[in-house]
Amino acid sequence: MSTQTAVQDDILNQPQIYDPYEYALHDNPYPAYKDLRDKYPLYYNRKHDFYAVSRYDDCLAVLRNFKVFINSKSTTLEKEVIPGVLPFLLAMDPPEHTRLRHLMVDQFRPQNVAPLEAMVREMARKLLAAHADKGKIDIIQDFAAKLPMAIICKLMGVRSDDEDMLRGWTDDIVHRDDGSNAITEVNIAGTQQLLGYFETMIQGRIARGETGDDLVGQLMEFEKADKLSHIEVLGYLFLMAIGGNETTTKLIGNFTYQLWDRKSERDRLVADRSLIAGAVEETLRIDGPTQMQGRETSQPIEMHGHTIPAGSKVAVILTSGNRDDRHYDDPETYKIDRGAKDHLGFGGGLHSCLGAALARLEGRVALEEMLDVMPDWEIDLANAHRMHSAYVRGYTHLPVTFTPRSPQ
Amino acid sequence: MSDVKFTYIQLDGAERTVSVDEGLTLMEAALFNGVDGIQGLCGGICSCATCHVSLDPEMYAKLGAPNEGEAEMIDALDNHVPTSRLGCQVHIDALLNGARVRVLGVDA
Repeated sequence: MSTQTAVQDDILNQPQIYDPYEYALHDNPYPAYKDLRDKYPLYYNRKHDFYAVSRYDDCLAVLRNFKVFINSKSTTLEKEVIPGVLPFLLAMDPPEHTRLRHLMVDQFRPQNVAPLEAMVREMARKLLAAHADKGKIDIIQDFAAKLPMAIICKLMGVRSDDEDMLRGWTDDIVHRDDGSNAITEVNIAGTQQLLGYFETMIQGRIARGETGDDLVGQLMEFEKADKLSHIEVLGYLFLMAIGGNETTTKLIGNFTYQLWDRKSERDRLVADRSLIAGAVEETLRIDGPTQMQGRETSQPIEMHGHTIPAGSKVAVILTSGNRDDRHYDDPETYKIDRGAKDHLGFGGGLHSCLGAALARLEGRVALEEMLDVMPDWEIDLANAHRMHSAYVRGYTHLPVTFTPRSPQ
Repeated sequence: MSDVKFTYIQLDGAERTVSVDEGLTLMEAALFNGVDGIQGLCGGICSCATCHVSLDPEMYAKLGAPNEGEAEMIDALDNHVPTSRLGCQVHIDALLNGARVRVLGVDA
C-alpha cells in the first residue's frame, strides 16, 4: 500500500511539461514528447486532469484495449462535449460502433477509393495552375485547404459553392482558445450550422422525392432501411465533413514543410516518382496531423506502476509513439523510404481512420502535382501561421515561392 | 444474431476458442477477445494486413476467394500461404462454426 501511495504522489508531482492546449507547445512539441517517453511514460496533467501515454507500445496497447479505454464519452480530453453534437462513429464503442462502421467501411477500402484518382488529380491541377505562372502560392489557403474539402463535398453531394462555408464551420468546431479546453460559443455555433446544413440538404431531397447516389444518399437509404437512425445519419455526415477537411489539409502542409526542410529527400522524389507514396507515409509517421486522441477509462487500470482510476481522461500521443526509439531506428529523421507500415498516423485498431485510403490518395496526388508544377519550392517561414489545436498539428498559412512556369 | 464458435491458433501455438456474433469480422472478433497476433491496425479498410490469418483448405474453399484488393495485399506478405486471408475481410457466419483460424501475423 505504501509503495502505491508513493507512486501516486510521484505522478501528482511531475513537472508539467505537456499541455496540449498551450499554443507555445504547437511550434515544436517533439522535445516534450521525448521527455514524456523517457521520463514520464505515464504522465498526469494537473491543470486539465488527464493522463497521457507517449511510447509506441503504450499507445498501441491503449488503442487496442477498447473495453477499458472507451470512446463513447468523447475522444477529446475536455470534460464536456459540444452541446448539440450527435453520436458519431469516433465517439462510439462496440457494438454500436461496429454496426455503423460496417455500413461504410467497404466504400473506403483502397480499391474503392482508387477510381477517385482522376477527379482528385484534375482538382489538384486546376488549383495549382492558377498560381503556376506567379511563382508563389499559399500552399494551405490556395491548395491544401481546398482540395480535400472539394473532394469530400463532391463525395457527399455538397454544392461546390458551399465548400468554403462548410470548411469555416468545421474550423470553428475544432478551435480552442490558448491554454483553454473550454467549449466556446464558436464551437457550438459551428456544430449547429454544420448539422443544420445537412438537415436542410436531407429534407430538401426528401421533399423532392430523391436520395442520390452520393454519401448523403447512401446514408439516407440506410435510414430508410432502418439500419441507421436519423441522428446517426447526421452524426456520420458531421464526422465526414470534419475528417474529410482538416487532417488531409494539414498532411499536405506538413509534407510541404518536411520536404523543404530536407531537400535531399525532395530531390530523390523528383528523380524517382515511385518514392512519393512513401514520402506521404513517412510524413504521417513523423509529423502526422493527428497528434493525439483522447480516451476515457471505463474501469481502473494499472500502467507503469500507477493505477489510472475509472472515469479518467487519457491522451494517446500518436506522433510521440511514432517517434519512439524503442520502436523505430533513428525515429526523428525523415526518410521517405523508411517503409514503416505500422505507424499510428491514422490511429490504430477499431477506430483507425476510416478515410485513410482517401487521405493517402489525396496526399500522393497532391505531392505528384506539386512536384510537376513547383519542384523547387521555398517556404517563407516568417509568414507561416500555425493552427492551434490540442489534437491536430499543421499550418493555416504556408506561403511558398518557386520558379514560375508559363501557362501551358 | 446467433453465436458462432470457432478457434484461433495464436502465434505461440496456444488455442483460443471464441463464441461471437454473426456479422463481425475475424479481425474484430480477435480484438474483442484479446487474441494475440492480430493488430487490426487499419480498422478493417484492408490496408495494413496486420490481421493476416490462414484457414484449413476446406474452410478456405467454402468461404469463397478473397476480393482483388485483399488478394493483392496477401501477395505482398512474405509469410503468406495458399489459404491466407485478411481477417478484416472475412465476415463471420454459421459456416465458420468449428473453424480453426491460424494467426500468421505480419513482419512490420
